[in-house]
Amino acid sequence: MRRVAYVSAGVLAVAATGIAVLAQSGSGSESGSDITFLGEPVTAADIAAGKDLYAQSCAACHGAGLEGQPDWKRRLPNGRMPAPPHDETGHTWHHSDRNLFEITKNGVEAVVAGYESDMPAFGAVLTDAEITAVLAYIKSTWPERQRAAQAEVTAQDEGGS
Amino acid sequence: MKMIEPNFRPTRRAVLTAALGIGVLAALPGVARAGTGGANGSLAFDGDALLSAGGTLSTSTDGGATWSERALPGRVLALATHRDRPGRVVAGLAEGGVGFSEDGGATWRVGTAGLPDGAVNAVAIGSRDPDLIYAAIPGDGLYKSEDAGESWTLAMDRPWLDEAERDPLALVSVDLDTGMGGIWIYAGTETGLTRVPDCFCRWQDVQPGNAMDALVAGDAPPPENPLPAGEPVLSLASSPSSPERLYAALPSGLWASRDGGVVWTQIVEESASAVAVHPEDETYVAAIVGDALKLSRDSGMTWTAAAAK
Ligand code: HEC
Repeated sequence: MRRVAYVSAGVLAVAATGIAVLAQSGSGSESGSDITFLGEPVTAADIAAGKDLYAQSCAACHGAGLEGQPDWKRRLPNGRMPAPPHDETGHTWHHSDRNLFEITKNGVEAVVAGYESDMPAFGAVLTDAEITAVLAYIKSTWPERQRAAQAEVTAQDEGGS
Repeated sequence: MKMIEPNFRPTRRAVLTAALGIGVLAALPGVARAGTGGANGSLAFDGDALLSAGGTLSTSTDGGATWSERALPGRVLALATHRDRPGRVVAGLAEGGVGFSEDGGATWRVGTAGLPDGAVNAVAIGSRDPDLIYAAIPGDGLYKSEDAGESWTLAMDRPWLDEAERDPLALVSVDLDTGMGGIWIYAGTETGLTRVPDCFCRWQDVQPGNAMDALVAGDAPPPENPLPAGEPVLSLASSPSSPERLYAALPSGLWASRDGGVVWTQIVEESASAVAVHPEDETYVAAIVGDALKLSRDSGMTWTAAAAK
């Protein structure tokens, strides 16, 4: 039941930040960033909101500095994998925007049928816009090499579907 | 048990896996490991040369008619070669470490930097990069070297199948796109086949490329015929000339797939322990069947025994 407990704790935390995010994006700041998500430009305000959402919803597992759980390449006693880093030392940047969105919204089993993991599905606790903001924030932390590689994977993914 | 959560949809495979789980545990045989059953247990093609290694290395350049013997840096549990690097032979050593030869097995160096102690029972060379080497250590995990064995790092823990971590017994880099900017590494384990993208995000079942789309669309799932559930996969081969063509050696026999491992058909019904495929000709296969080394020039339809070494 651990996962369920995490998710409901998440609901509370996110319900609180959701309001903050809306307030922030309503503040009229339209300054751009060089990040896109699913082909759409993302504003600096979205990224700032994504940073807050990350701290609230993701950092507990993926690390405040996106560093992942300790020893994240080693399986936990329950057979599942720990939360990997979201910085360039992990493998998040190998996934297309669409895949990252799917995983965050619907869990890893949404992209790998039958796969069991401790990654919660955030579809019930974050809006699509919030998921986009969080992932855009993660993307904004990557060095140029990882950004370029992930842009390529995203382009291939869109071409293929 | 699968936990209930808001978005959980049972999938056909999850249900199937759960249903098979019990039978699989009961049927788990005493695992025979490729390459440990006496001399000359691993096979590879180095160009046209056929290599067979165990306690010593035997090489044949005339399709198995005549053989010459070479010394090895230790007892070999697994071999790998690469189409674009003739002469390079990579060998997993029973005493630990990975042996490298650049001259078809005449001389060797052993790379251990960053590798923990313990037998290396499976090795593979990245299909798109002959300097990218993978090595599996039983009870530990999968290691990789990006500099042809000079240094090694942990890439990934062992795969999880049927409720436990499983040792890869065979590894092969399969030149099929993962959609994650890389290609797949397939592993034969003591309880079946699995694979991981070469970015090492997660071990996963082999599934048809469009399985997820079919699931979402509610369409009939694409056909699948996996290898026999729960059986060890002792050896794997994928030809760079036709990477979706795979061969697998199992106690039940030799199996082949033409679609990257989704649908398998049995091509030999006698116990097989090793298999290799020619780098330029996906129909030219060598296998250890029973105790004999056999060759096929027609994808395994007909076989001839190689001469005694
Ligand atoms: C309860 C802990 C937990 C929380 C909270 C969590 N994650 Fe995860 N996440 C995981 C675990 C564990 C994995 C690894 C899953 C696996 O491979 O088995 C993962 C994997 C992922 C992946 C896939 C990474 C890859 O390269 O394969 C993405 C993307 C991701 N998480 C995004 C998020 C985002 C965004 C948030 C916050 C909105 C978040 N996660 C919150 C535990 C968590």
